[in-house]
Amino acid sequence: MLLCDFHIHTKYSDGSVELRRTVDLFGQAGFDVISITDHVVNGDNTFGKLAHRFKFSVKKDNFNKYISEINREAERAWEKYGMLIIPGVEITKNYLSPDKSAHILIIDIKEFIPACWDYEKIFLEAKEQDALIIACHPHHTSDMTNRDTLFLWNNREKYARYIDAWEIANRDDVFNVISLKKYPYIANSDFHRARHIYSWKTLLDCEKNTESVKQCIRNNRGVAITLFRN
Amino acid sequence: MGILTIMIFFIVVLGLIGYFLQVWSIRKILITSAEQRINRRDGNFERLPGISVLKPLKGLDDNLFDNLESMCNQDYPEYEIIFSLQDYNDPAFKVAEKIKEKYPEKKITLLVEKCCAGLNPKVNNLIPAYRIAKYDYILISDSNVMVSKNYLREIIRPFDDPGTGLVTNLIKGTGGYTLGSIFENLHLNSFVIGSVCFLDRFLKMPCVVGKSMLMKKKDIEAIGGLESVKDMLAEDYILGKKIYNLGKKVVLSNHIIKNVNNYWGLRQFLNRHTRWGKLRWHIGGIKYLSELLSNSVFLSIFPVIFSPSLITISFALFVCTLKVIGDIHIGRTIKTDMNMFLFLLAPIKDVLIGLTWFIPLLSNKVLWRGNRYIIMNDSQLIPCPEKGIFYYTYRFVNTIKTRFA
Repeated sequence: MLLCDFHIHTKYSDGSVELRRTVDLFGQAGFDVISITDHVVNGDNTFGKLAHRFKFSVKKDNFNKYISEINREAERAWEKYGMLIIPGVEITKNYLSPDKSAHILIIDIKEFIPACWDYEKIFLEAKEQDALIIACHPHHTSDMTNRDTLFLWNNREKYARYIDAWEIANRDDVFNVISLKKYPYIANSDFHRARHIYSWKTLLDCEKNTESVKQCIRNNRGVAITLFRN
Repeated sequence: MGILTIMIFFIVVLGLIGYFLQVWSIRKILITSAEQRINRRDGNFERLPGISVLKPLKGLDDNLFDNLESMCNQDYPEYEIIFSLQDYNDPAFKVAEKIKEKYPEKKITLLVEKCCAGLNPKVNNLIPAYRIAKYDYILISDSNVMVSKNYLREIIRPFDDPGTGLVTNLIKGTGGYTLGSIFENLHLNSFVIGSVCFLDRFLKMPCVVGKSMLMKKKDIEAIGGLESVKDMLAEDYILGKKIYNLGKKVVLSNHIIKNVNNYWGLRQFLNRHTRWGKLRWHIGGIKYLSELLSNSVFLSIFPVIFSPSLITISFALFVCTLKVIGDIHIGRTIKTDMNMFLFLLAPIKDVLIGLTWFIPLLSNKVLWRGNRYIIMNDSQLIPCPEKGIFYYTYRFVNTIKTRFA
């Protein structure tokens, strides 16, 4: 089984560990597949403008640099640790109300997708790029410092068909509603700090390459979750 | 200025003298060793003997992959590596498996065997690995050390003297992205390395660092095998002592190994040094007092607190400055990769260490790798009772901690 984490932030957005060190941290811990998913924040409200102002967001200007640095690290990680790195982003639509907010992982992204687009347009563009679409922390979380992002769950009837998998567990939280609805699932760390490596993870029973990993998650067969602890 | 303040000044000056003797002993050991290294490459061996490297693994250490990999890249003709774990669920299993896959040409054994021979989990991990080791020389190497290519060549050399029984190494702390790991590295690169060199050079005491111990199988058998230290917290010290009592030499090798500490929290740093303090208190007894007396920075703070004046403040600043300069000098001698500005944190670290010094006097219980023990003389472990006042106090405190986590 491949030990995987598909939700990792670096200093490209609000993570506290630089990209290279993040890769080393996961490589040294024996991970097989990771995805770097820094925030792309909507810039159409005050939250978003602040995120852009304080460089907590990947923007169109630095997207290519971001992807090329991930690709460079991916080569190094493959050579040194035998670890596969897939580039991604976390589309971050933050609003004052948790009911309107949503975070979406786009894994294996190729072209920049602005977070201020409407949901349908984002999903269709991600599909066009053959990227995976994951709904992040879709229900109430225990983290007091983060706001809940409930929009996708509240509108699941409309959007579930676009979503390849839902986070059934995020860092320390488990969302039993995903299980009750029998939605496809994965589990991630939502890594921002080094200690977040010890959290929920996904185990996949597939080949170690991007296409197999995406297929495995889409089919949601041979997927398990594990609590990675030291 | 009171008599007490003058006495503290006097003790601080004595402590500083002791500290600079440590600095001198580090230089002396490293320079002498470097000269020996130039004179003899492989010692007097006709053919370098095979070595079984036992790597007990438990959990993820910082830099684990590189640490294990560094052992696979040795410039040494014949050696085997045995990665030994207690269960498959240990996260280190995956890393060891990856290393084995990456180096198929190396003699690597991945051994998973539950062993409950004693109370020391490291020794429990080592016993099954020792059983399958095939060479006459046994190297016990901790999972948190990174070694250079010539490590095995360097540490085997003292065995060209038939009187040698155990070879151990100096360690230096490297890395450090968090405050806890910076403190840890500062402490390893001043107090720990200084004390080991001082004991070796001046007191001729067999001071063994458990992170790297090379011994002959027949000597291990002669002292009763690894089982003889299965219930000891300081298994390294006791192994050294037993081998020394056999009439064999315990040699401090010239080769410095790296202990990479990148992401330690402050609590982890304090826990480790409280545990080590308890261990030294139970081994050294009254000699443990010398650690407090040699902590000049910590002692120099007392006159500032109880009799603040320009003289006491200036004296404390002077002591801190000398300590920082001394630590930087040691850092340069051992070629540490730490940023020199980080040495300015050394006085804060010394104050914290000074505070933890008192804990062993009040408590003889240790929490080690999830298990609670009571330490007795010579670091003998006994399980913490599951009933009685100790147990209920622990349960009570633990319940509160869990509630507020």
